[in-house]
Amino acid sequence: MTGALLPPLVPASFGGAVEFILEPQSSSVTGGAKVGGLDQVLELTVNQLELTLLALAVSMLVALPLGLYLGHRGTGELLAIGLGNAGRAIPELGLIAFMAAAIGVGWRNIVIALAVLGVPPILTNAFVGIRQVDRAPVDAARGMGMSELAILLRVELPLAIPTVMAGIRGATIAIVATATIAPLAGVLTLGDFIINRNVYGPDGLLAGAILVALLALALEFALAALQRALTSKGLKVSAA
Amino acid sequence: MPSPEVTSQGSSDASAVRYERATKRYEGSAEPAVDELDLEVAAGEVCVLVGPSGCGKTTAMRLVNRTVELSAGDVKIGGSSVRERDPARLRREIGYVIQQIGLFPHRTIAENVGTVPRLLGWGRERIDARSEELLELVGLEPELAGRYPAQLSGGQQQRVGVARALAADPPVMLMDEPFGAIDPINRERLQNEFLRLQAEIRKTVLFVTHDIDEAIKMGDRIAVMRRGGRVAQYATPAELLMDPADEFVEDFVGADRALKRLALMRVADIDLWEAPLAFVGQATAEVRAKLAGAEVPYPLLVDSERRPLGWLSERDLAAETVPARPDSPLGPLLDRDDVMRDALADLLQGEAQYAAVADREGRIAGVLSIEIISEFLGSPAAKAEERGAAERPR
Amino acid sequence: MSVAGPLASLPLAAAGEVGEGFFKERSSDTLPCQATDKLFCFDWAKENIGSFGTPTLQHLELVAISVAAGFAIAFALALLAHRRRWLQPPLLAATGVLYTVPSIAFFFLLLPITGLGRDSVIIALSAYTLQIIYRNTLAGLANVPDSVRDAARGMGLTERQILWRVELPLATPEIVAGLRIATVSTVAIATLAVLASGGGLGVKFYTGGNLTFLTSIVIAGAIAIAMALAFDVVLLGIQRLLTPWRRAASG
Repeated sequence: MTGALLPPLVPASFGGAVEFILEPQSSSVTGGAKVGGLDQVLELTVNQLELTLLALAVSMLVALPLGLYLGHRGTGELLAIGLGNAGRAIPELGLIAFMAAAIGVGWRNIVIALAVLGVPPILTNAFVGIRQVDRAPVDAARGMGMSELAILLRVELPLAIPTVMAGIRGATIAIVATATIAPLAGVLTLGDFIINRNVYGPDGLLAGAILVALLALALEFALAALQRALTSKGLKVSAA
Repeated sequence: MPSPEVTSQGSSDASAVRYERATKRYEGSAEPAVDELDLEVAAGEVCVLVGPSGCGKTTAMRLVNRTVELSAGDVKIGGSSVRERDPARLRREIGYVIQQIGLFPHRTIAENVGTVPRLLGWGRERIDARSEELLELVGLEPELAGRYPAQLSGGQQQRVGVARALAADPPVMLMDEPFGAIDPINRERLQNEFLRLQAEIRKTVLFVTHDIDEAIKMGDRIAVMRRGGRVAQYATPAELLMDPADEFVEDFVGADRALKRLALMRVADIDLWEAPLAFVGQATAEVRAKLAGAEVPYPLLVDSERRPLGWLSERDLAAETVPARPDSPLGPLLDRDDVMRDALADLLQGEAQYAAVADREGRIAGVLSIEIISEFLGSPAAKAEERGAAERPR
Repeated sequence: MSVAGPLASLPLAAAGEVGEGFFKERSSDTLPCQATDKLFCFDWAKENIGSFGTPTLQHLELVAISVAAGFAIAFALALLAHRRRWLQPPLLAATGVLYTVPSIAFFFLLLPITGLGRDSVIIALSAYTLQIIYRNTLAGLANVPDSVRDAARGMGLTERQILWRVELPLATPEIVAGLRIATVSTVAIATLAVLASGGGLGVKFYTGGNLTFLTSIVIAGAIAIAMALAFDVVLLGIQRLLTPWRRAASG
């Protein structure tokens, strides 16, 4: 039932993983140089965070205006929804492998690949979020003489925040998860501990897994707080 | 209670319903929603629970099928307490019609109607036969049986709701503002048809409404309730109108009690006038001859089945033969079974002096006018009629 | 900033093989097609298409088992939470955490328990599907109109009968929608299984410590996307089959 562990890995333990995170350990492979420790962990974490946020920014830049605009106009449903569905089917490993093989490795290309992953959920949710806004306040605003852009930004968007943010959160999770395997394409993130386990050992492997999980949870937590802060009090009261 | 055999037109014996100091108290409320209600509904009668919103009438009704549980006291159906039955089984023997109808969207009309029989374990054939029978009874075409609720109009859906409630031939029916969600025109029709139905099948019905006019029209006996389900007066419609027990009842019934009396009578109770009938293609000379001594000074155009089509004008009569299309439209078409109040309202709304009255097959039965109504109301016959209405069940 | 800083590249350099896998050689006459960066090598494809069979089947297996297990658990949880409202927030939070933790990390968090291989992969993939199926099932049940529930209860259906004969049939579209999303996502994520020695189409993207070459990637990618699409269409078909009344209403 339990999978056989490949030699020379010995069963990993959480204690060992914690040690790995805190203190540089010796590795059988590097010929003397130490691996692990807080410095390296921090560096890779920062890398992954940078990568994630950069890719998220790019995908938001592309998807948000488009999704909000289409939602406001009420057209392009096929594109917005269809792209959302299609985006879910993109095989993460395949995307990275394709990018690396076809275009090349390095930061810029990885950011593009990750942004591609982030666009569909943000696009779909921006579209749906705006569409779902109650027509009454919108009609009232239009009747009062607000410009279309003002209506979108001051009436529709605030009311659509929950759905739009849900899309951004979904994109973030997908991006940070895939950023984990960025080392395959030359950008070192926490995933390196997982992918190059023969270098970092079983403790490093487990440490990597724990760190990635914690990073994702921390991001999710931060975005949830951001969403709460951005959601107007009126909406919160009605949702309660 | 085993389900009684269903015959094609008769029904099982209806059961009396009795509230014995029935009480419902909710957590956190100082006042009980229903406070020691004592009420007896005779078998085969329509008892209307009416009152301002929040008075507890719906809660009281729901105590009967235990969709609201008693806090104290008892409710007895046909002598046996509802507390002694398992709620689900109890409800299968009580018809239940609610305002929002609540048909199952994922089941066909026939399946909806057959819900309770299926729960009771009836055979497939028996269920199908019964569904067919009931759809006809509530006035729906048999083709609708295979459709889904979303394909029917609101009025049609509520007819199905009533059919569904009658399916297992229950001795008691609960109806909670059943026609509230229907538009006024169809509501009137449904009310009339339900009264026709009830005249045939004579179920014990507990009918809840906030509309005093509906109460007067539908009820054999009316219980006017105030807060806490306390009965201010329990009487026949006529008694209520002529003898309100206190100021609350008087206010609730409304200042226009006199007009409301019109709800107690039907068009059929009046001697209608006759209009000279004209058939399409008939020589106009014949029609003119009929006009000479007629009660109604306008000829009514009817088809070969004597169904009214419209009124003829001088211009129409100028031709040799009666035209197929009359100058004046038919206007309001009344039904012999209409209550007088509704007939008067239709007359006034149609701004017509005269309105044709048809029988159940749509054939001309006579003509009604405001003159006729006021004449009748003043007559001694009318007064006797009113008193008669006070005594008999309708 | 191209490849990361000096300290981090030490292990990479030390591992040796990794360097070659990253950098493709440009077109060359002497090298076989798969060593160049040509997008699609027909000859190689024709010869080696059979080798995609086992990974595809493995992938199908991973997805089917994970989604089935995830559905069973999430569905049961939703039925439970439907009756006992107080369970809803904690269950939502718990399934949310399982969803947020990237699957690839999850594969290895299970390391001390189930080690490497298929079992860990399946458990992690199932965990990923829980939240979406749970939420959709709960929402579908909650969206049943109150009047329908009131009528059902008033007519004498027991709580269980109401659930199975009224609420669940009416909730089917939303439940299947959740299932579709979960399945499509799982097909995509299961490509990572190779990193945890779990097999699947991922082996055609990455094997022996290297990314493979373009043709292999393209074919495997196409298969993965086609599989996701096929699942989606089939599930949509099943939903249509189960809900004839919706077609009637719009027709």
